[in-house]
Amino acid sequence: MFFHIVLERNMQLHPRHFGRNLRENLVSKLMKDVEGTCSGRHGFVVAITGIENVGKGLIRDGTGFVTFPVKYQCVVFRPFKGEILEAAVTMVNKMGFFAEAGPVQIFVSNHLIPDDMEFQSGDMPNYTTSDGSVKIQKDSEVRLKIIGTRVDATEIFCIGTIKDDFLGVINDPTTA
Amino acid sequence: MSIEPFNRLVKLAARAFYDDVTTKGDNQPKTGRGDNRGIAVVVLDALTRRQWVREEDLAKELKLHSKQLRRILRLFEEEKLVTRDHRRETAKGAKIYSAAVAATADTQMGGKEGEEKIKLHTHSYCCLDYAQIYDVVRYRMHRMKKKIKDELEDKNTVQEYVCPGCGKRYNALDALRLVSLEDEYFHCERCNGELVAESDKLAAQDVGDGDDNARRRRREKLKDMLQKMEVQLKPLMEQLNRVKDMPIPEFGSLQAWEARASAAGRAVNGDSGSNDPSKNSQGYGGTPMPFLGETKLFGLAWQVEVAFSGLDGKEDVKSESASTSLKVLPPWMIKQGMNLTKEQRGEVKQESKPDGSSAQPEFSDDKKSTVENDDKKKIQDEYLKAYYAALYKKQQELEEAAKKQQELSDIPLATGLSDSSNRQVGMKAKRDDNEGEDDIDWEEAPVTGNTIESYKVNDLNVEAEESGDDEDDVDWEEG
Repeated sequence: MFFHIVLERNMQLHPRHFGRNLRENLVSKLMKDVEGTCSGRHGFVVAITGIENVGKGLIRDGTGFVTFPVKYQCVVFRPFKGEILEAAVTMVNKMGFFAEAGPVQIFVSNHLIPDDMEFQSGDMPNYTTSDGSVKIQKDSEVRLKIIGTRVDATEIFCIGTIKDDFLGVINDPTTA
Repeated sequence: MSIEPFNRLVKLAARAFYDDVTTKGDNQPKTGRGDNRGIAVVVLDALTRRQWVREEDLAKELKLHSKQLRRILRLFEEEKLVTRDHRRETAKGAKIYSAAVAATADTQMGGKEGEEKIKLHTHSYCCLDYAQIYDVVRYRMHRMKKKIKDELEDKNTVQEYVCPGCGKRYNALDALRLVSLEDEYFHCERCNGELVAESDKLAAQDVGDGDDNARRRRREKLKDMLQKMEVQLKPLMEQLNRVKDMPIPEFGSLQAWEARASAAGRAVNGDSGSNDPSKNSQGYGGTPMPFLGETKLFGLAWQVEVAFSGLDGKEDVKSESASTSLKVLPPWMIKQGMNLTKEQRGEVKQESKPDGSSAQPEFSDDKKSTVENDDKKKIQDEYLKAYYAALYKKQQELEEAAKKQQELSDIPLATGLSDSSNRQVGMKAKRDDNEGEDDIDWEEAPVTGNTIESYKVNDLNVEAEESGDDEDDVDWEEG
């Protein structure tokens, strides 16, 4: 699920950036630092949408670096148990398949794949129904439900299922 | 504190879950003769009839090898049904236990003392832990249901993987770390062995996974299993519900139990044998289980005693549910005994608590032997009259209360649940008792000094013992 929230961060800025572009430098550095990171609490920071305010800078003794407390608005993405996601398949093996929904990795184990789909090995491993009408392979797009998440300090990993109504392949690259 | 519903719970659980437990390892062939399935049930049943029991004794009584019994008990300890205690003890320690056993059981453990050696031996004791059993059984049922339901709905099933090499376990959340680039299997982080998906599924996989038919069959099988489980475990569920709001019997730790039991035992030993047959008759409904009857008495004794002391004999006649045996003791006797202990022997009272009913005669006997004066008989007679007069007044006062009590006690009697009636009676009577005491004290005070009073009273009690029943009847009719 996506959230638009305000976060705060202390930015250290090198003295060489001081000048009339100080603010732009600060913001670009913030984007470079923060976007794409993941915190267990808030999830993945997708994008910074604005700066709320920049506090007073504090010059560090000895180094000359200046610390600015920056409040910024950003979009975060955090997966939840029970959430339905659309994801792209990245790898298929005998144990199941891996898929990505943006920054989130999701594993769907083979017993959470419908019973009528069977694993076919080969140089393009895939799961196929007995009549061959539905196929899950690399780059397929699937709709899945998250049934478990592991949230570490800097990492979120999910397991999902497609063994439910309205879940499964939504766009097959071979037919498209 | 009634133990019977809990024993029933244990028995049901034993038959439901431990019916096919065998002490044999799986590698040994099960011959018809060596098949000892069901032995676990026997052991549990035996434990319901006991409190703390030395495992050797239990083995002897069950005609089992002690090793065999220990293996079963270890199983039950793991299953949290049984608490065990091991200690190294001398012959003396064993004697404490024997005394405790003798106190709770009517069986004669006379042979014990002869066998004892001075060497230290490690003895194991075991006892049912009713509180824990209740929780364990409930939890077990919950898990069983949840497991089948989850599987039926394919819900929240995080696949687990296990390494056959080193036994390390993973689940699907570790999947990202486990994929290898070489092949399509997961590999153990520690030994790089190939992981296998753990199939702790109830529905066998051999139905053939793949076609739709098999899936439907499996669902049906699961549903069937769930239904069967509910039907078959229904008595157990009902018993659990019945037991839910009851106070759970507690024996405490081995030491505490021993202390209590041996204190009671001393009281019994000091007593003449006259009380023994009465005790047996206390086994409710004449259960052929001396231990069980004892257990109940043990729990109830303190309340029962109070009950009868306070009821002024009325209850004795009417509510026979509360053990006919105690009727032999005239109520005022117990009351006076308590009075005595309260005033003069605070610490003795503690001891007499667990088995108060039988403890009282001890005191009175002692006193009787010390004070044997003829001239006091006159005073006694006078006192007797005064006392009965007071008693009669009291009875009239208590008439209403007694009737209510009788109703209360009669209903459970009809259903055969005498425990509850006992408790109710006990609760009520406690208050009555206090009133009665006050009255008597007040009447006695002007006549004689404090110490003499109590002695005299005791003598009186002994005399009154024969006439006690008659008096009760008469009183009742009068009231």
